[in-house]
Amino acid sequence: MGTKICKENLQQIIKSVPMLSASASRLLQLTSNSDHQLLDVVNLVKTDANLTARVLKIVNSAAFGLINEITSIDRAISYLGERIVISIAIGDCAGKLFEKELSGYEAAGGDLWKHDLRTAIAAREIVVQTELEVSPDLAFTAGLLHDIGKSLISDYLQGTVPEAIELISSQDSLDYLEAEEKIIGVDHTLAGFELAQAWQLPEELAEVILYHHQPGNASEEFRLLVYAVHLGDNIAMLGGFGTGSDSMQYRLDPKYTDYITLSPKTLANVMLTVDMEFEKLEESLNNLGRETT
Amino acid sequence: MGQVILGVGDYGASKTPGDEVKTFALGSCVSVILLDPKTRTVGMAHIALPDSSINKVKAAEKPGYFADTAIPALLHEMTKFGCHKKGKGMVVKLCGGANVMDTNDTFQIGKRNALAIKKILWAYGMGAVAEDLGKNFSRTVSISVESGQVMLSSPGRPNWQL
Repeated sequence: MGTKICKENLQQIIKSVPMLSASASRLLQLTSNSDHQLLDVVNLVKTDANLTARVLKIVNSAAFGLINEITSIDRAISYLGERIVISIAIGDCAGKLFEKELSGYEAAGGDLWKHDLRTAIAAREIVVQTELEVSPDLAFTAGLLHDIGKSLISDYLQGTVPEAIELISSQDSLDYLEAEEKIIGVDHTLAGFELAQAWQLPEELAEVILYHHQPGNASEEFRLLVYAVHLGDNIAMLGGFGTGSDSMQYRLDPKYTDYITLSPKTLANVMLTVDMEFEKLEESLNNLGRETT
Repeated sequence: MGQVILGVGDYGASKTPGDEVKTFALGSCVSVILLDPKTRTVGMAHIALPDSSINKVKAAEKPGYFADTAIPALLHEMTKFGCHKKGKGMVVKLCGGANVMDTNDTFQIGKRNALAIKKILWAYGMGAVAEDLGKNFSRTVSISVESGQVMLSSPGRPNWQL
């Protein structure tokens, strides 16, 4: 049996986790606005010396294999792209949450980050390859953050894995989300949403966190984005990168076809790209959470 | 005791008693296991997608990734251990190929992988004697080279043998 989490507990948990830095927070606000330009990102990063140093260190790391060192932050950001800069910024302040061992899901330390990174790449690829009217980089950021609630509730789920699996197998619970709610009173989407509020995340990111398993419930203006992350999440799990016991224990919303046209061949291409991009990105971002400044 | 750990798109074999051939967290991927009783060799491929025609460059780089290139590559690898080049006498086992719940046709990648693999094995005159395919959970597989025993595990479930 897990320990029930009441509202006050949840607020306590949220108070105990790292806050986003001012620059990470502003970066997320800025990049969720469709009018922004890369120059705005550059100017924002320049105001944060730690972030600037981290971005330069990563662009010059072995993973990118550059022959000449990049010393200007402008060039570094245009080389890496917005999504990698955002990953670095989030990782710098919340790396511990992403790297945490999710013992309540029988998942090792780092599994959540890998799952999130793969969801991010997959959501972005869905947007690009099916030409959705969503910013590809926003889909990436949303994928990165969608499961953040798991690291908040994992400790309370310790020892509950067989019970959760049994609830789903016996059809007493529809999916792992319902099982979490039944066992500890709160599921990971709600916990993540509360954190999104505390972090003052843009509305569309908060909706992705809350509705990524029920994309049909998202408000209409953000629904495409939420569906892209919903599919990205499923693709990450099918690729063998879940977060332990809950992998593939959710339902695919068949209504995605009203919003996204995806052929088996395009899906295969997305999955292949996820594998290839993940290798590259994981290597370049592998110090996440261990080198926080 | 050595371990031969295979990632997505990898294939490999061992005939060293005491070795274990292992792959982690198969989702829709399928593990093809070839056991050769004559040379006591264990081979495995961790296959991600059914058909290499979508990316020939990747297929040349990592033949184990696609069903149609993985099986010839694995059989070729096993000839280095003295096995028959067309798999004569080998015992075949298959596992993985999971799907998400409420999956639709497009998302049945696990099923498409399993079908493509069976078709190719059939062309070699091979068929699986045991399989644990489909459903909606991830599987970690390990094979003892000494006994040929195939063990499966998944979070929240007791381990089982194939």
